[in-house]
Amino acid sequence: MTVQLPPLHVGDELPALERTITLTDMVAYAGATWDWYRLHFDPEFVAAAQVPGPVVDGQVLGALFVELLQDALGPRCFVHELSFTFRNLMFAGETVRCAGTVVAVAADRVRVDLSATILASAYGPQRPAAHPAHATVLLGTADGPGAR
Amino acid sequence: MSGPERSGGDAVGLLTDELRALLGTRKVYTAPEPLGAAAGRYFGMAVGDDNPLYSDAEFARAQGLPGVTAPPTLICETNQYANLPMDRDGYAGHSWHLNVPGTRQVRGGNSYTFHRRVRPDDVITATWEIHDLTEKQTRTGVDMLVVSSRATYTNQDGELLAVNEETIILVSLDGAA
Repeated sequence: MTVQLPPLHVGDELPALERTITLTDMVAYAGATWDWYRLHFDPEFVAAAQVPGPVVDGQVLGALFVELLQDALGPRCFVHELSFTFRNLMFAGETVRCAGTVVAVAADRVRVDLSATILASAYGPQRPAAHPAHATVLLGTADGPGAR
Repeated sequence: MSGPERSGGDAVGLLTDELRALLGTRKVYTAPEPLGAAAGRYFGMAVGDDNPLYSDAEFARAQGLPGVTAPPTLICETNQYANLPMDRDGYAGHSWHLNVPGTRQVRGGNSYTFHRRVRPDDVITATWEIHDLTEKQTRTGVDMLVVSSRATYTNQDGELLAVNEETIILVSLDGAA
């Protein structure tokens, strides 16, 4: 199966990804990563840590960025570089909006500026979850430069 | 692990001799078994990513891969192969144990470089190293210590899979909001 992408241009916005991350999602992520740190699910521990609610594991944002990029650029792409700086904690039940804008295009790769924004919720107003964030994605190949 | 860790006590000079001694420290964790296809499929389900590259071998092969692969960032979650006991906070993974009185600990960010797709038969080794400790001040004048570490992920044949540059920030509670 080959997906023919339309030509990419600087300034193109990739389809955004919005995801509400429930406590159940957080428990699933804890299981998938063998990370049972109680701040992510245990109300008693959360209260003792003096944070408003169970804290979403920040690494989830990396997984969502990858999902956004691969969904937009097709299965024959490879996320080669991905970086992000955390800005605010996200709590159970909040919704994050991940967005990407093409900032450079070459024959075999594209560079994308990314953002993750937590939408307004009972925990507070809209705020950045991760910014700045960037990715370099190789095009035309499902695997990376280290593949044999 | 993410989020604040608060430890009590009076704030001291953040870059102590004890912390400085960590510079160059390495910790190496090797998985006791291959990653397995289920680990990648489960991670995809957990984050809501239904990309068939993680679950459909025929689809993955049609894209030029040998078979299913794991979502790229899974490799950076090292608890599965750190094989460490769970602590009282429920954490069972790599830590530098940066317990500095009078500070709270927050994640700064990550910079990943992926070299190739991880495969179910990869037996992963993660090599962590602290490569920089820098004292700074926040924009509001609060002391902080930025700890930069690097994890390099290889497989049983020594193939480079990924590199993860991570920053952890210890923020002084003295004067912090």
